[in-house]
Amino acid sequence: MEEPLLEIRGLAKRFGKRSGRELAPWIIQDLTFSVSEGEFLTVIGPSGAGKTTLLNIIAQIDVASGGEVRFQSQSAPIDDLKALQPGLACRIGYVTQDDHLLPWRTTLQNVLFPLTVQGRLNAETRTRAEMLIRTVGLGGFENHYPHELSGGMRKRAALIRTLVYNPPVILMDEPFGALDAQTRTQLQEDLLRLWNLGKKTIIFVTHDIAEAIALGDRTLVLSRQPSHVAGKHAITIPRPRDVRGIMTHPEFGALYQRIRAQLQ
Amino acid sequence: MTTLGKRSTIGRSDLWHRIATSLRACGDQILVLVVLVAIWQVLSMTLGSYWVGSPWGVATRFVAGIGDGTLLHQASYTVIEAAAGFVLGALPAVALPFALRRLPIATAILDPFMVGGYGAPKLALAPLFILWFGIGIESKIVLVAVTVFFIVYFSAQAGIRALDAGLVRMAQVMGATERHVARHIVFPGAVPYVFAGLRLAMPYAIGGAIIAELISANRGLGYLIQLGAMNFDTTGIFVALVATICIVFIVNWSVNAVERRLLRWRPVSDVTLQAGT
Amino acid sequence: MTLREAAIDLDTPAPVRSRQHAVTLGRVALAALLLLAWKLFADVAGPLYVADPIKVVQRIVADTLSGTLLRDTYVTLRLSAIGFALGCGLGIALPFLLRRLPRLTAAVEPYIMASVGIPKYALVPLFILWFGIDDAPKLWLVGLLVFYVVFIAVFAGIRSVDRGLIDMARVAGAGEAAIAREVIWNSLLPFFFAALKIALPRAVSAAIIGEFLVGNEGLGYLIEHSRQNLDTVGVFAGIVVATALVLAINALLVTVDRRVNAWRPTDRHMQI
Repeated sequence: MEEPLLEIRGLAKRFGKRSGRELAPWIIQDLTFSVSEGEFLTVIGPSGAGKTTLLNIIAQIDVASGGEVRFQSQSAPIDDLKALQPGLACRIGYVTQDDHLLPWRTTLQNVLFPLTVQGRLNAETRTRAEMLIRTVGLGGFENHYPHELSGGMRKRAALIRTLVYNPPVILMDEPFGALDAQTRTQLQEDLLRLWNLGKKTIIFVTHDIAEAIALGDRTLVLSRQPSHVAGKHAITIPRPRDVRGIMTHPEFGALYQRIRAQLQ
Repeated sequence: MTTLGKRSTIGRSDLWHRIATSLRACGDQILVLVVLVAIWQVLSMTLGSYWVGSPWGVATRFVAGIGDGTLLHQASYTVIEAAAGFVLGALPAVALPFALRRLPIATAILDPFMVGGYGAPKLALAPLFILWFGIGIESKIVLVAVTVFFIVYFSAQAGIRALDAGLVRMAQVMGATERHVARHIVFPGAVPYVFAGLRLAMPYAIGGAIIAELISANRGLGYLIQLGAMNFDTTGIFVALVATICIVFIVNWSVNAVERRLLRWRPVSDVTLQAGT
Repeated sequence: MTLREAAIDLDTPAPVRSRQHAVTLGRVALAALLLLAWKLFADVAGPLYVADPIKVVQRIVADTLSGTLLRDTYVTLRLSAIGFALGCGLGIALPFLLRRLPRLTAAVEPYIMASVGIPKYALVPLFILWFGIDDAPKLWLVGLLVFYVVFIAVFAGIRSVDRGLIDMARVAGAGEAAIAREVIWNSLLPFFFAALKIALPRAVSAAIIGEFLVGNEGLGYLIEHSRQNLDTVGVFAGIVVATALVLAINALLVTVDRRVNAWRPTDRHMQI
């Protein structure tokens, strides 16, 4: 059987000793799951369940205290601070909760930023960036600075900034959390549309069960600290999904109840 | 009278009231200016133009000085001293915190020395520099450089310390190397702080040049002031002072223009920078 | 843990105590290095340009024992103190006065702000011409410099007073004087203290520089007079004492500030 694209085995994490305190409690312990190529995986869990920490470890921003992360059949050096490779050589993209747009760059410049840094900026990639900007409805705002954009627009810019350089895996940490319902629904639709175009592998963290069901092929439910996988749910609702009307789908209710029960 | 009519009348009168108030404020300011010049004229007439050069005398001498180039010539020395000293002091002041960015121990070691240098009266070194470099422009340039250095150093350091670690990590995930981070994140992020420091240091540059000239020089606006004092020529002193004020205005205006362009990207409500008094 | 926190967490070096030792050691080493460099420059550049540090120390000791250094220091400090008092008094009084005359304030404000741009030191020759060669021109200099610092701070402080507090006081029956004393003065205290920290050392510097230009006593006179006599040791001695004096005042102010404002949340960005 082919190995999954990304495999997490027995991941464990606790933070280092702070002065005066004994060993910190385990944030994550015995966390195991895998992600297939092209899969849209949503991850849901209570606050403080270490979801962001999990993404940080996968993205090689943070070290783990134990366990293994295998990417493309290779084990990543997740326990050695110095060996960390943030983004695993641009193979893992990360859309964080804070958009982290560079305030001194215009929208277009921000979207081009990863290409500049990776030395891949040319006429073709530039055109692709401009197309992406238009796709998410930011056309006309290319030369605006982040402080001139609304929250939703900034999120969109941050999203396509990661999409523009086509990393095979994209981690997303509650990217639509701080937005109003209207904008959120719009962005969910945009995201699905973009995912369809490129068939990327996405790990999407959210605290919103409806969002998890609407977007994902599968949903992982994480437990409270110490986090491990409390349940895996295949979302049997066929694609293309109707994001706005997802709650009316006959299978939604049962799925929702099952997931919510596990979150208690 | 209908309610609608009442409301529209009030709206119009409110706008008119605002226009009238700002017109009145403008008028007040012009009135104050006229009063000040009048007082100046009266003082000149009662005390004699030896003690207080008359406004008209100053104005004509000023225009004449520009016309025949002498005033501009002298002013250029002061400006060159201030500008050259400014650049000489500001460049290392910006470069040093950047260079020591990855060596917090070095920065910590230097800190008390920098604080001491900042607190010490640099202008008190003027005679020393004159001793070393003579009464020409070199001593003035060095004095300005030393004064500007310490001011800009702390602003640059604040700019680097204000680095948003989240931005750095974001860039690293996207494949940025250390050089990329320095160039695309550290540097642009520090610019507003460095700029605030440069603005702060600017009056010290001009002031320092003039003070050094007052102590010992044979050229420049400070020299003109001393010359006027020695010859009991208050008109000459006033002309040099007016020239100084003009330079300050021009510099301020240019700095504002540059800042508007350079820092277009700053959100309007950014009040992190408190320029000192 | 956000991306930012994770990044900061990873960047903080782990052992703190040995780092403290290294820093202290480094500072001592740097100080020693600077002194050594001074001695080296003195030997290389010659007694005219760089005074030998040992001779400088000897001169300072000698002058202290003979009393001339104390006399000069006293003169400078007295000058600073009187000038400071004058400038400070006016700098506090004027904003309070202007507060009651808003129309006048609006009319005069642009000119006051414009006058800030004039280098006050440039006025000293004029002051010498007008007021003679005694202390007067120097007092004007110090007074003006202190005035501007204090005035701007108090002015801004008064402007920023919470309207609600004033209204509350009025409702409670406080007269104008009581309001000024209780509400406004206390609200602007932090601004005033911030201005003091700048104005006090500046008053001493200004006195010294004034003495470069006029007079026959004081630390500034000592420095400039030594220069004119090519007495480099004297120049260095004067500068060392002047610098030490200003730094001492700075340090004192910082300590007092910390004590008086202990209850205020400190701003981590203000390192000085």
